[in-house]
Amino acid sequence: MYEEPYRWVEAVGNRRQYLDDQFKQGSPVVALTYAGGILLTTVSKGTAKLYEIYDRLALGGMGHPTDLEKLRFSLLEMAHVEGFNRSPSDVTGSRLVKYGIAPVIKQAFEEVYKAPFIVRILVAELGVKQEKDSLLTINYDGTFEEATGCAVLAATPDIQTTMLSYLKGQMFATLSLEQALDLGLRGWAIGSLAQQQDEEAQQVEAKPTGSKAGSSSGATPSNETLIAHIRAVAGERTIECAVLDRQTPGSSKYRSLKQADLSQLLPKTLQSVVAG
Amino acid sequence: MGMQGDFYQLLKEQGYTLGSSGQAGAGQALTNATTILAFKYRDGVLVAGDRRATAGNMVMYDRTDKVLEIDRHSVMAIAGVPATAYEMVRILEHSFKYYRRTQLQELSFDGKLRAVSKLLKENVSAALAGTGAVVPVFAGFDTEQNSAKIYFYDILGAEFEGVEYAVSGSGSPTIRGILHYLNTWGEQPLHALSQEQAMVQALRLLASAAEFDSATGGVNREASLYPVVKLITGAGVETVPDATLKPLYESQVVRYV
Repeated sequence: MYEEPYRWVEAVGNRRQYLDDQFKQGSPVVALTYAGGILLTTVSKGTAKLYEIYDRLALGGMGHPTDLEKLRFSLLEMAHVEGFNRSPSDVTGSRLVKYGIAPVIKQAFEEVYKAPFIVRILVAELGVKQEKDSLLTINYDGTFEEATGCAVLAATPDIQTTMLSYLKGQMFATLSLEQALDLGLRGWAIGSLAQQQDEEAQQVEAKPTGSKAGSSSGATPSNETLIAHIRAVAGERTIECAVLDRQTPGSSKYRSLKQADLSQLLPKTLQSVVAG
Repeated sequence: MGMQGDFYQLLKEQGYTLGSSGQAGAGQALTNATTILAFKYRDGVLVAGDRRATAGNMVMYDRTDKVLEIDRHSVMAIAGVPATAYEMVRILEHSFKYYRRTQLQELSFDGKLRAVSKLLKENVSAALAGTGAVVPVFAGFDTEQNSAKIYFYDILGAEFEGVEYAVSGSGSPTIRGILHYLNTWGEQPLHALSQEQAMVQALRLLASAAEFDSATGGVNREASLYPVVKLITGAGVETVPDATLKPLYESQVVRYV
């Protein structure tokens, strides 16, 4: 039935709708560069969403844990075989993404008989110099984007734009880790709040009497609102942070921040979240 | 699914083989690396090696690094054919990282030992043919048990624990005797030595090996060439800089008769 081109386009359209629905409950991921390297942060429930891929590569993901695992393994496999056969400096994020997993994700997305990957992926690469730091995001259909400074994964493109416009305009190159963490978590809260509002708006829409007001538009929430939101959700979830730290001795630059590290680095208003 | 986190297996699936078991070229002098030692001292384990690589009577290279850091807490010192040894180190380095990154936990110390053993076993035919014999010493700090450990191997891959010390390479018979003597009748056993005392002993031992073994390189002060000395403690592997070895060598190793 999908042999006809029109049907195929329709099927892909349906698939997009199905996939968009899958991310509604997901937790956004924020990556930003700071003076000493790159920070990745999210607030996860249960399964971890931030991983080490190679000496200078880190992964953040949104979506189905099993799909994420599958892609994480292919990234690890490609990176290590390449690093062994050539050299560790030949393992770059953009090669892994563009020639490695992006085509695989695209193919799975377009083969309408098979299941697509329910994932959005962020690959952060620590450059030898700060100017070379790069961030790549891949969508469930295999589209990838390269960015510098900051990049995010979010439930919808709109929320992604909202988060990015909140984060942009910072002097990323001069941020300390504490400042980056504070900014990253606030950026996360922007995304998480926008997601909540979208959901509420939809519930209102579902009722025939509800008006269309109260959608995700409006002013940027204040810092207090954002911190309050993080405090509210952090009770049943965990703040997850990882850095690619240029100062780390040895070849592996990835380090996930433990609770003890976080309690020192987090802004004062959030420290109790980790301690408690 | 191949989800065991075994990097070597992955390489083999891609058609990789370690070394070839080709016939040894008759009379062909292969490059060899010589004299490595490891012993436990107060804070952990010290691993050291001279810097000479020889092929028959010829000195191939005088700046060889035979004490190779595999990860934050383990070191492999190599004696034998460097070509094979370096390749093994590269495989191990990638294997341990791959395991940690896929399985989200460190490979246990025993797991690391097995990995070394496995590679040596794969290499047996090359070792027997004379083209790739490697006799390593593997030392590290087992962070789970909070203790330093030393293992040495034969070319077939059998692993032996060196309770106090281990040596390998052509200069090793000389210093093995000295280590035994020091540890048994010395002023204090090796494991009681301070960091500085341990470094001095390592320099003296390598100087003795160089005295009696032509394939072991000594200290060359004109070229400021000192042995490679690494210390492994709970905090990780630390390479002792030449700037630290130089005064120790000059004050406590050189004898002006």
